[in-house]
Amino acid sequence: MSDRQPLTRSAFPAMTSGRWALAGLAVLLAAAMPLVMTNQYALGVMITTLILLVLNISWNFVLGVAGVWNFGQLALYALGGYGAGIIMLHSSLSPWLALLAGGLVAMVAAILLAFPTLRLYGIYTSLLTFAFAEVIQYVILNDGSGLTGGSFGLPIVPGLYSALSLAASAKAYYWTALAVVVISTVLLAAIGHSRLGIALRGIRDAPAYAAARGVDPLRYRIGAFAISGFLAGVAGGLYVSYDQSISPSVMGLTPMSVYVTMLVIGGLGTATGPILGTILVQLVATLLVTHPGAEFTILGIFLLVVVIFVPDGLAGMIGRYWRRIAAWAAEGEQTETEAADAAGETEGSPDQHVA
Amino acid sequence: MAMTDIVGIAVSTIILGSIYGLVAIGMTLIYGTLRILDMSQGSMVMVGSFIAWGILVVAGWNPALAIIAAFIATFILGALTQLVSVQPLMRRRSAIDFEMVTFITTFAVAMVLTNVALELFGPFQRNVTPVISGGISIYHGVDLPYQSLTMALVSIAMMAALGVFLARTRWGMAIRAVAQDLDAARLMGVPVGKLYPLTMGLASALAGVAGVFLGGLYFAYPQAGDLPLLEALIVVIFGGLGSLPGTVYAAYAIGLIQSAAEVIVGTTWSLPILYGVILLVLIIRPYGLLGKPSEARL
Repeated sequence: MSDRQPLTRSAFPAMTSGRWALAGLAVLLAAAMPLVMTNQYALGVMITTLILLVLNISWNFVLGVAGVWNFGQLALYALGGYGAGIIMLHSSLSPWLALLAGGLVAMVAAILLAFPTLRLYGIYTSLLTFAFAEVIQYVILNDGSGLTGGSFGLPIVPGLYSALSLAASAKAYYWTALAVVVISTVLLAAIGHSRLGIALRGIRDAPAYAAARGVDPLRYRIGAFAISGFLAGVAGGLYVSYDQSISPSVMGLTPMSVYVTMLVIGGLGTATGPILGTILVQLVATLLVTHPGAEFTILGIFLLVVVIFVPDGLAGMIGRYWRRIAAWAAEGEQTETEAADAAGETEGSPDQHVA
Repeated sequence: MAMTDIVGIAVSTIILGSIYGLVAIGMTLIYGTLRILDMSQGSMVMVGSFIAWGILVVAGWNPALAIIAAFIATFILGALTQLVSVQPLMRRRSAIDFEMVTFITTFAVAMVLTNVALELFGPFQRNVTPVISGGISIYHGVDLPYQSLTMALVSIAMMAALGVFLARTRWGMAIRAVAQDLDAARLMGVPVGKLYPLTMGLASALAGVAGVFLGGLYFAYPQAGDLPLLEALIVVIFGGLGSLPGTVYAAYAIGLIQSAAEVIVGTTWSLPILYGVILLVLIIRPYGLLGKPSEARL
């Protein structure tokens, strides 16, 4: 999607102090959730949602910000999960190191994947990366050494909090996943406005111009894949520790279509989009869990409507309404403040820092 | 390698290649004219399979009727898909990443069709009686079922008919004109608004007819379109997006790779080997066999 975001030097150009307060409040509320939530099933769904969020945030970076049609992200997620899980099972290393190692495995795979995508564009990239994911899935499924457990997946993995009771470990996983979500959101938003992010958007929106200005696609794309791959791997590691198992069914067309729906409905390439989209779709999926046909029909129609009528997703729509309210509130004040408000608060507005 | 294997591979290549060609050529036609990778083509195969099941098994009517009904139904469905998921975006096509957005909208249509079928018919795999039963033995141990033979013949006939349609008829020439230069075609008075649904309907109808035959080979079930879609995608991209001759060559090349892999290393490894070959081809020739970066197509 060609959302033209302002290119600024500040790490968080869209954040006013009010917005920081709002974001802080949201995080606090989310952190308090397990203290008031007694329903273990609901808590489990929320933990899964948070882990998915890490994956979606990582995917959004390469798909939305860098604009590379990478459909191999789930393979990186699975590689991270299997890497972490196998280390947790077969070694006495700290599970935290195993989690990190899972992230590194996915990062190395992502860097290797970045090279062939450089010569391709658009849809060719998607097929190449999807083929990569299918090959990884086949290797995991048909592994003869018994390391991956074939289609059954890894047996009971101890995980990060094997010493805690079931209820306590659920809370611990919730907070861990939430912390990773918050850190990765802030980190990727900052990177998005750094030199790397600006270069990536430049390559995405005007490849020839970016190249003419001396932006090296190889360097920046490898950077994007490395960061995104590492996070996807960490998400996989979190998944394998919380679920105590991982199987090849985490990959494939069906889960991928759900995650793409989440990203697009939320708003591809925005910082808040993946969060909104993931939570909303996960809510619909949980409510309709007994009617898989109806669930996906509704998601499909929803996806169609959002793409056609709200191309910048829910995040973009909320941003526009926010600006309208801000403009209405500032009515009567000086036009200068109004313009500054609008520029500071929306993505896609003409930017004064660069001009 | 025994002679039987070679004959087996040759027969299987022609059959697989023809059916891949039928599904993939529609995608190429759509990409060439509209610059859309139509992800709903797989669902059209599925719809075709269900129509075949409805007419051949439930109603017990003539197979020819199943082919005609599938053609008409998927033609209408394809035209509707264009009107719903692509037409609203046409006005904004320069302001958005048109290829990616339509990729997603047609994918959404596929999601809806698959899951409506799931709600209506359930997840069960339904047997579709072959259009024609029986077969002949053409070499020691190599049987050629009439179903596969008909399938290959119908596929080749339909691909040839499409070629003639594009080369000789007024509407075919209009489709090619739009593929070559949209603005010039519009200035010459080509009714682009009608042409787009027609193109997508035609392509979908080819996939629907393929579905009638594939239903007899495999089953009719809601996800029946997933594998054909994946294979068609591979064929289309292998052959070079938007190139009709490239697609036909690629269909048979992919058929050859897959049948050879099945005979030599076994069925489980045929798909991963295919993907491996695709990875290599894309790394060496990023635009496929006959693809051009963005010049005249078809």
